[in-house]
Amino acid sequence: MPLIRRPSPAAPDPAAPAPAFTGGTAEERWAAARAAAGSAEAVPTLAAALATEPDMRVREAIFTSLALIDTDASVQAVLAHVRSDDAGMRTAALDALRAMPRRAGRHLPALLRDPDADVRILACDLCRSVAPPELHALLGPLLETEPEANVCAAAVEVLADGGGPDILPALSRCAARFGGDPFLAFSIRIAAARIAAQRCG
Amino acid sequence: MAEAVRRRVLVVDDAGLVRRYYREALEAAGYLVDEALNGLEALEKLLLQPADLVVVDVNMPQMDGFTFLKALRRQAAPLCAIPALVISTESGPQDFAAAQAAGANFYLVKPVSQATLTDYADLMCGAGA
Amino acid sequence: MKPSQETDEEFRRLCDFLYRRTGMIFTDSKRYFVQRRIAERMGATGSASFASYFARLRSDIAGEIEQFINAFTVNETYFYREDHQFRCLTADLLAARLKHKTPGEPIRIWSAPCATGEEPYSIAIWLLENWPQVDAYDVEIVGSDIDTAVLAAARSGRYGRRALMRLSEAVVKKYFAPIGPDAWQIIDELRQSVAFTPVNLSEPGQTRGHGVFDVIFCRNMLIYFDDASRRVAAENLFENLAPGGYICLGHTESMSRISPLFDVCRFADAIVYQKPAGGAHG
Ligand SMILES: C[S@@+](CC[C@H](N)C(=O)[O-])C[C@H]1O[C@@H](n2cnc3c(N)ncnc32)[C@H](O)[C@@H]1O
Repeated sequence: MPLIRRPSPAAPDPAAPAPAFTGGTAEERWAAARAAAGSAEAVPTLAAALATEPDMRVREAIFTSLALIDTDASVQAVLAHVRSDDAGMRTAALDALRAMPRRAGRHLPALLRDPDADVRILACDLCRSVAPPELHALLGPLLETEPEANVCAAAVEVLADGGGPDILPALSRCAARFGGDPFLAFSIRIAAARIAAQRCG
Repeated sequence: MAEAVRRRVLVVDDAGLVRRYYREALEAAGYLVDEALNGLEALEKLLLQPADLVVVDVNMPQMDGFTFLKALRRQAAPLCAIPALVISTESGPQDFAAAQAAGANFYLVKPVSQATLTDYADLMCGAGA
Repeated sequence: MKPSQETDEEFRRLCDFLYRRTGMIFTDSKRYFVQRRIAERMGATGSASFASYFARLRSDIAGEIEQFINAFTVNETYFYREDHQFRCLTADLLAARLKHKTPGEPIRIWSAPCATGEEPYSIAIWLLENWPQVDAYDVEIVGSDIDTAVLAAARSGRYGRRALMRLSEAVVKKYFAPIGPDAWQIIDELRQSVAFTPVNLSEPGQTRGHGVFDVIFCRNMLIYFDDASRRVAAENLFENLAPGGYICLGHTESMSRISPLFDVCRFADAIVYQKPAGGAHG
């Protein structure tokens, strides 16, 4: 039979020097990023590497290591890129925050009050991992006071999925506030129908 | 519109309610509609079934709208030539520039009404195109 | 069992939830099918209403997401499962990989996770049956899993009738020996040709010792992982692929829910994912 069985190739030598973040090839930087996954002390190095890393895949590995380290410092290093001008970087940062839902969750109140409406929109999406009543505590006040229709729409999207009956009055007041916005009216109508169905369920 | 000439639109947006809002408008206007939640899924769906128009959000998980459009423009014909309408909450000049560089044909800032959407769809790939 | 009694919007909410998490799409035409499964899970969890069941599902209480997905996917493994991917392997993937091989270099195929071994043995049998060049190349097939009990079963290669249901009588005769009523064992020669190893795919760096593969089958595992584990597993798999190598996922799985590291490729028989030929450089 031609199918063969042979020993697997040897693992890399564990005594080899730690690979470097800068200068080397993308493969070396990738290896350095992955090797840092276990160590909280690596956060400043990872954060610095993130700022200059041109390769999207190496960036992914850096974000993964920051997510696995899962400390306040590593959340901060990721949050710094939620405001990036580069859409790919924003996406990568958001995905990393989704991989550390508990710790990222503590930053949601501040993110939902960020002066930048785009950040508030992204923050609403991160609320998906939160269940009522915390979800209502985060997004209820926003529905009442948020001046940007797009931010309210992002909140409604999450509430349509995870909201409970307690949020219905705030939803209808939000609809009234933005009476002229057809998309928001549509969203709130569907969200309310979904949530109301639970009450009699 | 007769079945044979119905145009196909792929709506790429991570917000389910947005996809549904667009879908209702486009279907009422005679289009066939498919949906994807991010750029990667959009590429996968287009490889299985090309579309006549893609309507694309910018911020989405795994692959953002601009990265998706760059990847789309690198595909073989007919995929690389599919017209693209970007609809985003992002309204900064760097976003318009990035959209253009990525190969978007039009850029609209949310919120976009159902009537505006179907006007653009008709303009970009509809019966008159 | 009576189908569940949820409203239209509740049904859509559940479908949206599943779609967002897994990429599985259920439309109104599949409603009855979905309802049966919801009713089944509501019964199993003692949920009094759709709303209370959905809350349980969303919060993943007692691993309900896994249970729910299991209700939709056949989670037992059997020979020639999803064989369109094996067709793709012999029709397209191997030829593409051979272009990058020097004479004598082996072709390496990884089944991870392999569970009780049906998948890696299926690959071996499929190649012997359907790939005329099988004699011209060295092919190495490795099956790996985190669960050492399933690995022991895989090594012993004993199967019942259910696992063999998709194989023709001729194939069973050729590659299995009957060992009792409704029990068969893979012939020694074939058992020797698949290596079985323990591996934890969701632990960074745990897979490196396995070396690089030309094609990886990673089916019906990632769909159950959370975001952090998916990222780690995707990066491990990326390292274990040769540049230009391919990865096949289960039919309800899509890389679009897992990782942006790979490129998507369409072949006649399957959608597969590829590590770019330039390695880490995108
Ligand atoms: C449903 S089986 C899939 C078997 C086969 N690939 C198929 O599709 O028929 C899932 C397998 O994943 C394995 N598994 C779960 N977590 C794992 C991990 N972190 N690393 C490796 N294997 C894992 C389980 O032990 C189980 O055998």
